[in-house]
Amino acid sequence: MKVDHRVFGSIIKRRIRVKRRAPRFRARMLLGLVGALVGLSGCGMTGSPGSTDQADANGPITLDFWNGFTGPDGKTMEAMVKQFHAANPDITIRMQIIPWGTYYDKVTLALAYGGAPDVFILHAARLSEYASFNVLRPIDDLREAKGTGAPLPVADFARVPWKATFYKGKQYGLPLDVHPLGLYYNRALFKAAGITDANGNAKPPTNWDEFLAAAKKLTRDTNGDGRPDEWGFVFTNQHSNWYTFATQFGAGIVTEDGRRCAMDTPANLVALNRMRDLIYRYHVTPKPEGIDAWLAFRQGKVGMVMEGIYMLASLEEQKGLPYAGAPAPQFGPNPGVWGGSHVLCQPVGGSPRRVTAAWRFIRFLSDHSLTWAKGGQVPVRLSILHSAEFQALPVQSQFAKQVGFVRYDPTIPRGNALGQFVDPAVEAVLIGLQTPKAAMNDACRRITQALERP
Amino acid sequence: MTASAKAISRRGEFRRGEGVIGLLFALPHLVFFTLFLLAPTFYGFWISLHRWPILAKAHPFVGAANYAAALSDDIFWIALRNTAYFVLLVVPAGNLVSLLLALAISGVRRFFTFYKVAFYLPVIISIAVVAVLWRWLYNTEIGLLNLYLAAAVNGLRSLGLPLPPFEPVPWLSNPAFTMPSIALMSIWWGAGGNMVLYLAGINNIPDDYYEAATLDGANGWQRFWAITWPLLRPTTLFCLVFSVLGAFQIFGQTYVLFAPGSGPARSGLTLALYMYLQGFNQYEMGYGAAIAYLMFAIVLAFTLLQFRLLARPADDAASSRKRRTA
Repeated sequence: MKVDHRVFGSIIKRRIRVKRRAPRFRARMLLGLVGALVGLSGCGMTGSPGSTDQADANGPITLDFWNGFTGPDGKTMEAMVKQFHAANPDITIRMQIIPWGTYYDKVTLALAYGGAPDVFILHAARLSEYASFNVLRPIDDLREAKGTGAPLPVADFARVPWKATFYKGKQYGLPLDVHPLGLYYNRALFKAAGITDANGNAKPPTNWDEFLAAAKKLTRDTNGDGRPDEWGFVFTNQHSNWYTFATQFGAGIVTEDGRRCAMDTPANLVALNRMRDLIYRYHVTPKPEGIDAWLAFRQGKVGMVMEGIYMLASLEEQKGLPYAGAPAPQFGPNPGVWGGSHVLCQPVGGSPRRVTAAWRFIRFLSDHSLTWAKGGQVPVRLSILHSAEFQALPVQSQFAKQVGFVRYDPTIPRGNALGQFVDPAVEAVLIGLQTPKAAMNDACRRITQALERP
Repeated sequence: MTASAKAISRRGEFRRGEGVIGLLFALPHLVFFTLFLLAPTFYGFWISLHRWPILAKAHPFVGAANYAAALSDDIFWIALRNTAYFVLLVVPAGNLVSLLLALAISGVRRFFTFYKVAFYLPVIISIAVVAVLWRWLYNTEIGLLNLYLAAAVNGLRSLGLPLPPFEPVPWLSNPAFTMPSIALMSIWWGAGGNMVLYLAGINNIPDDYYEAATLDGANGWQRFWAITWPLLRPTTLFCLVFSVLGAFQIFGQTYVLFAPGSGPARSGLTLALYMYLQGFNQYEMGYGAAIAYLMFAIVLAFTLLQFRLLARPADDAASSRKRRTA
């Protein structure tokens, strides 16, 4: 830290004598240096790979495609891109897989400041947020397919995911899949507990009574320490599990019109009390605190879980686990499950040539979504859903039975901003910190504030 | 001293030249400092006065509305409370650990450097790595900490002690445990840094004092209270000030462990994490920037307070010297 001033002083003095002779040159050098630095930092911001057109209007074209498929689904997507390359030698897809945790940051910044990819994935529940800022290109004109082959077979798309791609009357993307929550159950534990049909096969529950009875039979203390070590049911993802309960009782995060909070409704309190009862009244579910619930199911210590179809790959990895899939039981008066969709979107401002090429790629992915389904997804094309090949996929075909009543998270522009109030409230109820009433009142106070903000 | 005095006497001769040359020396740093720290800092303040969703083309000026919103946002106050709790947990305990480590190894003759390096080593690990590591240690079911505790409890029980059966500690999943767990991990991570400062402070105390005290028959404890502790005071204050500043800005731990959530029942939500979530998760830059500036104001207030505390030791030393001579 200490500087020897004598040494430095003499250096400075010596340098001064030399430098004093050319003051102008010095000033110009300074300016040049600053200019160069500003230029350097500036070009990083405006450079957008792939967004400029190649000179040759009919030559090969390279498109950027961003998604968050970091798991086995990424491998499936890679295979589909290869297929596309083989069929479309004039287009090269440059795919970038970004973990979902940072994916939206990157997409948002690219859409705001330039460098957006030609094709990218958005979840259906977040589409309206981006559409409301006018950064997505509507695809209504592309559906009619001027010069891109056959028009899009609109009637071939399942209604719920199709509708979720619209915002204020315009369509902003093509749904690639729908990934509903469903019931995974352990066939061996079911058989051991005697929950079987007439043929002796494990019989998944379809309603609350069956579910509760099965959970009670499956919860066992095998080592005699007075505490269960095999559980009937566990909460893995609290959000999707609660949303499924809530939607079946007619509740949700916001009302149908998206204007008011719906979490403090009597319907939701009934739903939450059901969930609480599993833990504190019937003791068939462990308190969701410090347990890796999904791991416990994979290890064969849990009879049932409700998770998304995308967790299938994780089960396929587990050697010797006798799992099976079924639609989620209907706990309340209405059918309904939480679900999401990957939607293929384009940014605004692409040249006609890029837009057309990107649309060809999007169409290809949609037309070939059977490959995608095999990787652990439910397709949205009815022709594929009804095909024998898809029906032969044991878990996917079971989960697909719910496509008609999948419920997305609020598809309003501020929907995603509400999550920060929803999930802690549900958690507070499940770990017993707050009563359902108090927790939901807190959530609604905050949600109302967020909705009313200008 | 003499050089600068000379410089002053010859000021007229090269004041102009020295100014430019000095600027040239400072320029590389100054340019980067301005471009990447000063300008963004002021730009951040500008942003905090606007409604600034990242994707919007227009950002309307809203004055102090973001600040008012933050102050009436109960989650902001939860974040502030959690942060203050963390500071209270980590600063006194952390400094105590650092001081004890320094005292312990300052007396070591063999392998002194080994111990110093060993205790300092965690400091150079990135906080992201530390957090991932400790997440496994803290795992309720298969974490090392709970395994050891279970083994200890079961061992004592088998010896006939009337202990209840071991219940796994929910280190990171029970709101009451979250902050203490994070504090423990942070102390492990950072104790080595202050330890080095305390070591330097201890080494600066002349051996004569100890010799004299020993001759007077003072035992180890007395030597510590009468010599080491008072003479370490400047070091202690310095360490405390910078620990408080560092602790207030806690981010990496909670970010790695909980983001985009904020821990069970928001127990891991700190100010910096809340600022980050608003800015980069909700993309509400204006609101995030306002939280950042409120945090800045709080830290600044603490810094000023502590600078006044820091200014005191000189007077104290003088007054105590007076007392001794009197």
